[in-house]
Amino acid sequence: MNGWHGRILRVDLTNQTTSAEDIDPKIARDYLGGRGWAIRYLTDEVDPMVEPLDPENKLIFATGPLTATSAPTGNRYMVVTKSPLTGALAHSNSGGDFPTWMKRTGFDLFIFEGRAEKPVYLWVNEDEVEIRSAEHLWGQDVPSTTDALLAETNPKAKAACIGPAGENLVLMAAIMNDKDRAAARSGVGAVMGSKNLKGVVAYGRKNPVFAEEKKMRELSIKIAKEVGADMLAGSSLREHGTAYVPQVTNTLGILPTRNWQAGTFEGVDTIDGPTLTEKYLIKPKPCYRCPIACGRLTEVPDGPYAGKGEGPEYETISSFGSGCGVDNLAAITKANYWCNELGLDTISTGMTIAVAMEMFEKGYLSEEEIGQPLRFGDPDAMIDMVQKMAYREGFGNELAEGSYRFADKYGHPELAVTTRKQEFPGYDPRGSQGMGLLYATSNKGASHMEGDVAYEEVFGVPVKADPHSTDGKAELVKRFQDAFTLIDASGLCVFLAVRYVFSADRMIWPVRLSQLMEYTTGIAYTPKEVLEAADRVYTLERMFLLKAGSTEDTLPPRMLNEPLPDGPAKGQVNRLDDMLPEFYKERGWDENGWPTEEKLKELGLE
Amino acid sequence: MKIRLKLISTYRELLPKGTQGNKIEIDVPEGTRVSDVMTQFNVPQDDSSVIVVNGLTVPLSTILVEDDEVTAFSAIAGG
Ligand code: SF4
Repeated sequence: MNGWHGRILRVDLTNQTTSAEDIDPKIARDYLGGRGWAIRYLTDEVDPMVEPLDPENKLIFATGPLTATSAPTGNRYMVVTKSPLTGALAHSNSGGDFPTWMKRTGFDLFIFEGRAEKPVYLWVNEDEVEIRSAEHLWGQDVPSTTDALLAETNPKAKAACIGPAGENLVLMAAIMNDKDRAAARSGVGAVMGSKNLKGVVAYGRKNPVFAEEKKMRELSIKIAKEVGADMLAGSSLREHGTAYVPQVTNTLGILPTRNWQAGTFEGVDTIDGPTLTEKYLIKPKPCYRCPIACGRLTEVPDGPYAGKGEGPEYETISSFGSGCGVDNLAAITKANYWCNELGLDTISTGMTIAVAMEMFEKGYLSEEEIGQPLRFGDPDAMIDMVQKMAYREGFGNELAEGSYRFADKYGHPELAVTTRKQEFPGYDPRGSQGMGLLYATSNKGASHMEGDVAYEEVFGVPVKADPHSTDGKAELVKRFQDAFTLIDASGLCVFLAVRYVFSADRMIWPVRLSQLMEYTTGIAYTPKEVLEAADRVYTLERMFLLKAGSTEDTLPPRMLNEPLPDGPAKGQVNRLDDMLPEFYKERGWDENGWPTEEKLKELGLE
Repeated sequence: MKIRLKLISTYRELLPKGTQGNKIEIDVPEGTRVSDVMTQFNVPQDDSSVIVVNGLTVPLSTILVEDDEVTAFSAIAGG
């Protein structure tokens, strides 16, 4: 095969054996790769009703056909499994170096099954594959685990691993790669922990072969040049990372503040990108061969929050910052470092602490229950909770279950701002209607990464959509869900793809993406075909979560019944009911949200 | 009348030299449109900018009133 290797590495942790197998070329073509192949395998091999932390669940690492190619930002992989946080599907994306190294082993997918009796790690050096003991690494944080894994295998290799949070089955545990990059959401780290799999190390020289080498190179260079020109002209992503976004969302009144009790934050000027750049930025840090370099290598040089590492990105600032009412950027950055070191998703961790803060301030939780006061705006209590969550210590053990389960246990599930029990990312859907529809219907629970219509509603890319209107949002959300599915299946990064790989008309028509796929794989994909394949993948994922019993597409009561009290979206709630029926029609689903027989047939999924 | 102009992230450079932060207050004559302010500060008025008044999407021909806040940022980056 071209582009793909067409090979899967299967790792049976229970029996400590590994095997290689080929992928059926028809599945390869119809499901594109990455997230697409992974859901096909998950559907075929895992009962959707499985307990996510049982050995019967499987954990899939998946690269795409464009991973490890010359296509700019072709550095991503997906982690796909059944999520312990949502009880539905998890598909978490990450970049950095590891995904490229993984693909160079000569395998597109690693499928982990069963459970090792004792902690192990996997070392893949092309066809030499070993399951090794990781008993000496259990309990160690992400940086020391990563250093040890590389020292024991090959310093030129790259590693992904879990920290204490994953070992302790914390429901928002991440899988970290290259120390600071995260497949963060939906508790994929807990699934890895449940399998006693501490880490995965990859090395190889098997670069994918392109069907049309010259055309591939030319198009890659063309895209890279366009990106380069924008970077020279001045790019917010390069200059400030996504940390520039709080000013934007605050202006629109959709910056989550004090657990979504408000949409504007008085401390926004002290937690935004230019402040980060001025005070703590060492340099922008790119994922492998990325011309954008939105990552931030930072250092808080002194004071109580001194440290060095990567971040924070926008999502981290909106959860630990405005979300927890904290206006101290050094503290937010420190919370981010802790999450990276302990292996936690910054969105769910920060937003869960925010719920506990509201419950404490309202008197629903006492100081005795928490073990300390936990007020909005208290950075030290916040950071303390992050550590307690990772180790399930004291009240951290309650928060480790995620905001919905813990708020429900203490009698106030309405304060958890989640869908499918997963915490919202940083865009308030009362002031960006399409985002509400997206959160309510995302296959992985609330997420911006499954069709970020904030691109149009907030950032004006490729065109500006009115965030307060529900008109056309059903079609917009469907279009972005398919586009993001396609990006995730291909192995590219969304930051590049939305602007440079889709044509800048309203249809975000994937002309270039289908070309890149064609030059790589040799299959004459048309833009229509790749979108159809994305629809197929999305619909198959939908079937998985429906069969898992996750059938309700809704938003938490705060979004539907409590109008925003401030800012430009003051007085508004999310009008999900105005959009949902039309959205189901757009997707070819019946009035209850189930894909119709006809739709399944059309996609070859019957 | 007085209005406020906020230029975010990379557009901060378009504010007068020496401006602290991302916001200034300016005096404009009655009848000033959003586009007039954008022209005065060299903010691109095509698809490459997002321009809002008091956080709301409005046409560039909108006539401003006392105390309005006009905000612009580059649409190039995405989030
Ligand atoms: S744009 Fe940012 S996240 Fe995407 S590949 Fe580049 S550095 Fe990584």
